[in-house]
Amino acid sequence: MAKDIRIDPRGPRFGAAVTLVIAVAALVVGANSVGLVLAFLLAALFMPGAIVGPQATVQSWAFQKWVRPRLDPPTETESFRAPRFAQQVGLGFAVLAIAFLGFGVVLGFYIAIGFVVIASFLNAVFDFCLGCEVYLLATRATRRA
Amino acid sequence: MLVRVLIVLALLVIASLAYWWWSSRQGRVTRVEIPGALTPAVLGAPRGYRATFVQFSTPVCAKCPPTKALLTRVAEEYEGVSHVEIDASERLELARELDIMRTPTTLVLDTNGVVVARISGAPSEAQAREAIDATPPAGTEYAI
Repeated sequence: MAKDIRIDPRGPRFGAAVTLVIAVAALVVGANSVGLVLAFLLAALFMPGAIVGPQATVQSWAFQKWVRPRLDPPTETESFRAPRFAQQVGLGFAVLAIAFLGFGVVLGFYIAIGFVVIASFLNAVFDFCLGCEVYLLATRATRRA
Repeated sequence: MLVRVLIVLALLVIASLAYWWWSSRQGRVTRVEIPGALTPAVLGAPRGYRATFVQFSTPVCAKCPPTKALLTRVAEEYEGVSHVEIDASERLELARELDIMRTPTTLVLDTNGVVVARISGAPSEAQAREAIDATPPAGTEYAI
């Protein structure tokens, strides 16, 4: 396993608040060109976190620049792996939403963005990682042995 | 537009209720009876002579490292209680066999390696102690 990176757990939580606002906006404006642009924006925001890790995202940069200096130092740090997995799940749903809209499946767009809204809401407000809860179930279902 | 705003609000209320239900179940200790023992060979580590916490974790689990720290600390306070951590994503066959659905899930083994309790989710210290209480205290049965 590659080297672990410890991060401030409040960073991904702040990032989830950012994606929550954009995902809610996408649901409210609906399945039109503005909604498509917002879905692309979500995918672009999730991309660095999904590939490198949550420490590489625009959200974490904003957190470090504007939010972190106003907070006390973190009492604990966490591994970057769980938030990176969460970003991968988010990216998956954002790409799904774009694909659905591209093929004219409007309901699919709403459902995919709805998942991003629920997951980022739980993460931002309750510090609960939905993707982490389903990770083992997903692994059990998709991998043999 | 208004309809969609209301749908979003309803979605967030449902998500909050689901979270509230989920967190009320977090760390719950249930007494279980699973026939057969977990051997040190299966665990990849020796068992405690009174009880063993067998914690199933995954690399992406945010609550697993704090749970490990808490269980290790509680285990040290008791005579003959130890803690073993297993990566469920590497031991999928074992996770299926023991019906591990989420992480952290901690099984409590008695002195013979038989599963007597199951902690679903991240426990509090009180819940960890409650789980140890499911096993008889060390030394009472085999007092010399």
